[in-house]
Amino acid sequence: MREASRPDLLEACAQEPIRIPGGVQPHGALLVLRPDDLAVVQASANAADILGFPVAAERTPRIADLPLGGGTLLDDIARWSAGQDGFYLKAQAIADRMFEVSAHRTPQGLLVEFEPACDLGDPSETFYPVLRDFLEESEALPDTLRLAEAVAARVRRLTGFNRVMIYRFDEDWNGTVLAEDGDGALPSYLDLRFPASDIPAQARDLYRLNRLRIIPTCDYAPVPLVPELSPLDGAPLDLSFAALRSVSPVHLEYMRNMGTAASMSISLMVSGKLWGLISCHHAQARRVGAQVRAACDFLGRMVAQQIDARERGAEVTERLRLHQVQTELVAHLARAPAFQAGLVERAVQWLDIVNAQGAAVLTEGTVLTAGITPSAEQVAELAEWLRTQKIEQAFATDCLSRHWPKGLDMADVASGILAVPISRLHASFIIWFRPEVIRTVTWGGDPATAKQQDAAGRLHPRRSFESWKEQVRHRSTPWREAELLSAADFRVAVVNFVLQRAEERAQLSEELQRSNKELEAFSYSISHDLRAPFRHIAGYAQLLAEEEPGLKPLSHHYLEGISRAALSAGQLVDDLLHFSQLGRASLKTSRIDMTKVMEEVRHSLDATETGRVIEWQVGALPPCWGDPSLVRQALFNLVENAVKYTRGCDPTRIRVEGREEGDLVVYTVTDNGIGFDMAYGGKLFQVFQRLHRPEDFEGTGIGLALTKRIIDRHGGSVQAKGAVGQGATFSFSLPRHAKGKGRGDT
Amino acid sequence: MGTLRPILLVEDNPADVELTLAALKKTKLANDIIVARDGVEALDFIFSEGQHANRDTGHPAVVLLDLKLPKVDGLEVLERVKRHPRLRAIPIVMLTSSREESDIVRSYQFGVNSFVVKPVEFSAFFNAIRDLGVFWAVLNEPPPGDI
Repeated sequence: MREASRPDLLEACAQEPIRIPGGVQPHGALLVLRPDDLAVVQASANAADILGFPVAAERTPRIADLPLGGGTLLDDIARWSAGQDGFYLKAQAIADRMFEVSAHRTPQGLLVEFEPACDLGDPSETFYPVLRDFLEESEALPDTLRLAEAVAARVRRLTGFNRVMIYRFDEDWNGTVLAEDGDGALPSYLDLRFPASDIPAQARDLYRLNRLRIIPTCDYAPVPLVPELSPLDGAPLDLSFAALRSVSPVHLEYMRNMGTAASMSISLMVSGKLWGLISCHHAQARRVGAQVRAACDFLGRMVAQQIDARERGAEVTERLRLHQVQTELVAHLARAPAFQAGLVERAVQWLDIVNAQGAAVLTEGTVLTAGITPSAEQVAELAEWLRTQKIEQAFATDCLSRHWPKGLDMADVASGILAVPISRLHASFIIWFRPEVIRTVTWGGDPATAKQQDAAGRLHPRRSFESWKEQVRHRSTPWREAELLSAADFRVAVVNFVLQRAEERAQLSEELQRSNKELEAFSYSISHDLRAPFRHIAGYAQLLAEEEPGLKPLSHHYLEGISRAALSAGQLVDDLLHFSQLGRASLKTSRIDMTKVMEEVRHSLDATETGRVIEWQVGALPPCWGDPSLVRQALFNLVENAVKYTRGCDPTRIRVEGREEGDLVVYTVTDNGIGFDMAYGGKLFQVFQRLHRPEDFEGTGIGLALTKRIIDRHGGSVQAKGAVGQGATFSFSLPRHAKGKGRGDT
Repeated sequence: MGTLRPILLVEDNPADVELTLAALKKTKLANDIIVARDGVEALDFIFSEGQHANRDTGHPAVVLLDLKLPKVDGLEVLERVKRHPRLRAIPIVMLTSSREESDIVRSYQFGVNSFVVKPVEFSAFFNAIRDLGVFWAVLNEPPPGDI
């Protein structure tokens, strides 16, 4: 026996070697026979008492020497032993008493169990109608719950227990009483939940192997085996499949705490997994015969198959439903300009495809959400964590905080998450959320009473209950298989969209490149083929004027008009070309000495504007960083404008200066010329936008646009201030230092 | 001074031929002006091949070469001449409408002697042709011997 005072009894319980308890329950006897000669090698110490004659296993008598029903049993067992059947079961009279004799093979010998028969009449009359009725009735039962109720009632009818429950495990092996049939002698446990620790792992393993267990009374003293160890291999006898196997004292304590004297349980195996139990309890000691137990086992198997079929059917139905929702959603997304926005538009379906309460889609740093979700920042943080998880297909949990401690902060809305990655390159995910579901937990029986009785600290059902309560916090309803499949399907659809969009983008950029090339070819032909005719027109007009000096003044005027028109058209083409080249050509940047540039600009302007007196005020011009020829052009255009629009002003004053502002140098060109109306300020830098009549001021109107483009390409900005008749101030900024790879610097 | 070397004008556009000839005539240069209307003709003349196999005039004092030409374009003419060990000494001036930077860059890579964009304004054009003619046909000292 275990030490009763150990406080960690429950933990110890999980370690207990329940397959080799070293003894049997006292209501029957066990003999272990050597397979080759059927000699008795081990026996339960009560064998002589139960069977009514001495069994001295230590002297290894042959079973033939025992008075076992006049040789019939011996022959039967010898025949069974030589055959293929796994189990043997037969009612047999021994020493004028009826026994149910069962046997099974083990590596340690044939285990033959003898249980005094319970009087239940003719099995074919008792069991057959029950099984047949159940089979007929179950067809019409719509779901697992009704099925469970029906089977509980049938098992109670067969066994006469006070209470029969159908107990279902969840994915963490916590259990719920799904259905119950009882006579009121024991309290109802319907809908109560029990923590996984109530049935430790090794017990569940055994439940899988041996589907039926019976404890006729919890107040028994186990009967030891003689000898203690198997003579065949020297090891303790494995009683995994023995009906008489003695159970853990902790379990007996548990039964006593629940007020249950006798119990029987039948494993429900669905799709090879332990799905649940048919659990029978009785207030007093109660024994059920092997035949009845076999019938119950049969019923258990029948219902397990029915449940399997029902659940598969429900799963398929659900899968079809989700698929239909998804099909509609995908069709919508295919028409939407962007799948992200399409998802938000169809939020209901988006949530429905996995039965979630919230969802988010993250692509390239943007977060779009629908339904009940954590904040966008939290979602982004979650995605960052997900990225580190290297998810291939999907990540699903009903308890996020178990995987990611920070998940606790969003447990109320996102205890459950289902995430699918939708890009290999970016941290792009679709994530669905489920809120925390705090389960109402009620302990079967009175835990307070259990604790009172627990003066010796034997059992702590209350404690296990507390730990379970902790375990079910921060959890959502679990994700079903159909939902996970639906998410996986949807991921494929979305990945296809993403790929398709990427292809379209690639195609678009190809088209852009092609059209850029075409533009280049176009500007080339403008350069070459359009300039030539203008030149020819101007040339011929000039030649004509020279050849015919005697032309009438009006004719001469006309010829001049032709020349001028051709010239300005030619100038326009040149300016246009220059402007378009600026968009294409690369910047060749270096440090620029603006003082020197200004000197050059002044020099070239002085050469054209002869005969004018201009008061130049050139202040400090700090150096900057850029493409020297372009920057020169930009400054030239502004200074040239200043010179142009001060024509007729006396005196003409033009001030050029610069100052450093952070990482920029700002240059200003101020004149006292005709100025401009600020109402047109915005148009000033547009291509071919002129504010003056061509006969007043020459030019194609491209100079300022060119300057703006140059400054833009350097990452600077241009500004203009002015008033009509009061001059104008143009300023532009350029970087002071070389940057990494500046924008447009390609 | 021996016989004057001719000026070779390679130009496909008749208007340009006419205007250039008019401009050259105004400068009163004594040199012969030979007009080739495409790249093949130009190469035939320079290399004394084809229809110019038996020409007796010497090598041109300068070639005024348009960039865009039928058959063989100006850049290719330039390249073939400049690749020739002796004929490369013939001065070649690209005289073109094109302002494309790539054309200028490639011309210089092939060894053009100068690159002139034809001005739209006739007086400017006239001045350019005159200056070119005077410089290359009169001022410029050709390499000794008949290249």
